[in-house]
Amino acid sequence: MNDSFFNVMTFQGLIHTLQHFWAKNGCLIAQPLDLEVGAGTFHPASFLRAIGPEPWRAAYVQPSRRPTDGRYGENPNRGQHYYQFQVIIKPSPDNIQTLYLDSLRSLGIDPLIHDIRFVEDNWESPTLGAWGLGWEVWQNGMEISQFTYFQQVGGLECRPVTGELTYGLERIAMTLQGVDNMFDLVWAKTPFGVITYGEMFKQNEAQLSAYNFEHADVNALLHYFDALEKQSADLITKNLPLPAYELALKASHTFNLLDARHAISVTERQRYILRVRTLTRAVAEAYYQQREQAGFPLLKSEMS
Amino acid sequence: MLDKSQDFLIEIGCEELPPAALEKLAHSLTKQIGIGLDQHRLAHGELQTYATPRRLAVIVRHLLEKQSDILIEKKGPSLENAFDENRKPTKACEGFVQSCGITMNELIEIDSPKGRCVGYRYLEQGKETVTLLPEIVTEAIRELPIPKPMRWGVSDTSFARPVHWVVMLYGKQVVETTILGIHTGDKTYGHRFHHPDPLHIKHVKDYAELLFKQGHVIADLALRQHHITQQIEALLTSELPKAKALISADLLAEVNAIVEWPKAFLGRFDESFLQVPKEVLISAMQSHQKCFPVVHKDNPEQLLPYFVFVSNIDTKDSAAVISGNERVMRARLNDAAFFFEKDKQQTLASYLKDLEQIIYQKQLGSLRDKVQRLSALSKIIAENLREDKQAALRAGLLSKCDLKTDMVGEFPSLQGIMGYYYALHDGETLELATALKEHYQPRFANDAIPASGLGAIVAIADKVDTLVGIIGIGQHPTGDKDPFGLRRAALGILRIVIEKQYDLDLRELFVFALEQYKVPLSNQQVIEDLIQFTFERLRTWYAGSNGKADVFAAVSARNITKPLDFINRLKAVEQFLTLPEAASLSSANKRVSNLLKKSQNSLSAMKVNPALLRETAEKTLEETITKQKIVLSPLIEKGRYTETLSALASLQKPADDFFETVMVMVEDKALQENRLALLNELRNLFLTVADISLLQV
Repeated sequence: MNDSFFNVMTFQGLIHTLQHFWAKNGCLIAQPLDLEVGAGTFHPASFLRAIGPEPWRAAYVQPSRRPTDGRYGENPNRGQHYYQFQVIIKPSPDNIQTLYLDSLRSLGIDPLIHDIRFVEDNWESPTLGAWGLGWEVWQNGMEISQFTYFQQVGGLECRPVTGELTYGLERIAMTLQGVDNMFDLVWAKTPFGVITYGEMFKQNEAQLSAYNFEHADVNALLHYFDALEKQSADLITKNLPLPAYELALKASHTFNLLDARHAISVTERQRYILRVRTLTRAVAEAYYQQREQAGFPLLKSEMS
Repeated sequence: MLDKSQDFLIEIGCEELPPAALEKLAHSLTKQIGIGLDQHRLAHGELQTYATPRRLAVIVRHLLEKQSDILIEKKGPSLENAFDENRKPTKACEGFVQSCGITMNELIEIDSPKGRCVGYRYLEQGKETVTLLPEIVTEAIRELPIPKPMRWGVSDTSFARPVHWVVMLYGKQVVETTILGIHTGDKTYGHRFHHPDPLHIKHVKDYAELLFKQGHVIADLALRQHHITQQIEALLTSELPKAKALISADLLAEVNAIVEWPKAFLGRFDESFLQVPKEVLISAMQSHQKCFPVVHKDNPEQLLPYFVFVSNIDTKDSAAVISGNERVMRARLNDAAFFFEKDKQQTLASYLKDLEQIIYQKQLGSLRDKVQRLSALSKIIAENLREDKQAALRAGLLSKCDLKTDMVGEFPSLQGIMGYYYALHDGETLELATALKEHYQPRFANDAIPASGLGAIVAIADKVDTLVGIIGIGQHPTGDKDPFGLRRAALGILRIVIEKQYDLDLRELFVFALEQYKVPLSNQQVIEDLIQFTFERLRTWYAGSNGKADVFAAVSARNITKPLDFINRLKAVEQFLTLPEAASLSSANKRVSNLLKKSQNSLSAMKVNPALLRETAEKTLEETITKQKIVLSPLIEKGRYTETLSALASLQKPADDFFETVMVMVEDKALQENRLALLNELRNLFLTVADISLLQV
């Protein structure tokens, strides 16, 4: 493996370095979920694995979509599609903060130079029926990560507690590369030239923003949401929580699109969120029962 | 002091604690430890509180090494029961001696309130302080008001954030125990980055200095805050002598609660951003970045293109920290400026049609429908209050347009404020723009009500429409669930109407608002529900300001639907209660009310026939009532209830005399009915203000 593979001055090198760091520290490296989600927490490797007593350590990149954050590729700091690097460790180890800070050092971020702060941020995902306590991590006033001790997921108490670390990759890359515009980030230096983040995604941002804000068919989406909700609930009664979860995620993204179209008022918003939450709760309960019936296999493997 | 004492230190080392709770947690820990020490008779000197993001600590000065000894006295049987006639101890006496574990000669005589008895006194030796401290500290921690306790790892322990170390030191001695799942010791930790290794505390008195000199930690909250303000002042004096920082107490406390080693820096941003409304810039600086905005010293209204931020590191490279913070600020302000420019490309009014796309509530139509209704409602209210109808109509129509702007999408807390700026930009009147800004008020418990009349009108209309719609589809708040903020809306209406002295009838408003809904609402009794709901809020509010429940009940019985009128009656009844005649008149009303309940006849049909009045007392009562009716009718008409009730106090004597000398339920039906009719008149007179028979006097 050559040095450039771990070159944190490229976006892909940054990902490799984090994967390497967390693999060394006992995490399996999972692959992204192939559905539109707003954050790495929605990946079954976080949401479902945080449920129940079985230990779990995983790290992965999750492409994330937040339709309302689209700026047609014109805003230097925002996009409707971006990347999170997610680390999930259950039970949360005593030295989890130290591990996190070591991961920053592995990226060349020296906390004796940069002002690194753990700023209270009590995370809540109403659609996932989940909440936790923790912080945003700031580097010189910039939020670069989220750090959460899950207390509840899918309406279920977390015992033991899962620690979740979420790195905002674009932001970290921008400070490392010293650029003010995320589209100027170097994604990779290939033998055939430099490929930037803008080359990868600027067109995508412009077109997807147009879709999210202007062209997404509100009526179709409203119907789609209802259909997804109905089928997800139906799958639960058939004891199929995993596909039910996928449909709940699709419903959640459909809701986000409707939100981007300003098609839902503040008053109605809450009700849509509750509808998704009802689905994910049912998933969490069914998933827990299935793991329990299987005798919580990962508890056994830990002991052997 | 002859007794030996030592200082005691307890320090709980944590991951970064929630800033809003820090100060309160620290002070409660101190208070609870003080309470524990007192309960255990442990004399001590001053208690000192320390708090940083990563620690809560208390030092108890001069804590005695031992509890004070205490004289215990046990009483046995009385002398006569303790000894028989031969002065031999009885069975009871022997039993007592045995229970005390003493011999007969240790028995003494004690005076008790029931006479002399046998007894036993002994000095209980005080326990060693170090043996009591674990329990005192554990108990104190249990009492802490942790807003959201959390668990971590596999442990069942819960605290505000995960705990990493606990120091318990008495003088030089470690108080060995387990607190919050951690074994206590004498090692603290300094600043997370400047001194990550343990620091050995040799003696309690070294604590703060050790942390300061070696640990890069200012442990004392007030001292640290002082450092921050001093640094900000020094920074501006040297770099921007004509400027001062806008330091809100809340933000300062928050910043203080997230640093152990504060270092203030000055950042700047491009002057062109100053074209953006300063509320936007200030809220971006304060709430997003926890930075202090900078204004001109002589003109605090003038925002300068700078900001002060407080870091938690003595950095090796200030330029890196400053440029990092400036980069973030630039991004924030860029966003804001972009939205401001983009939003202004169309008029506020032109957003109106877009409100159609926003579902206000599925059964209640779009936001466009809502503004149509609240606009009509605003007009009616303005008409009622003799204010500008056309202005109210338009203000109502434009009130929600800014919700479709990008700026409000980004900074939801600026709803209304952006409406104000965009309205002015479009050339709407200042009065209208102000109403857009104010109509969300009061937004929270102690928020101000709209200052302007137009703002108040739209505010009432908005809230009335919400209440009618949501209660109209049966979505009443339940328990602590009030997703539509109906309780706040109802209280908001009451506060505006009462504080502004608006003589508005809520029933009329609700009925009119209901008529504005094009679709029928499922709740058939929406109006009655609303009256009940709103006046229930008034009751809670009244109780909260120490109003008495019976006074409220007395007025409530009158089914008044004008809040202002209601309040005036409450005041009158309160005043009435201070009169010497109140008690007797209230019980007279109770008697009347009970008598009338027994009567078979329709009360309204009753008329007093003067010819049938026999006794002096009933004649006098009738005369007084007739006289009072004439005096009172103009007072009642003008809502001068206090005067009405004090005038009615003159009925006390005639009423009392009546009950003393006149029999009501006599055989003669005509006589009986005439007397009941008279009493009914008496009662009706009081009922013009309130049902004082409900008063608990």
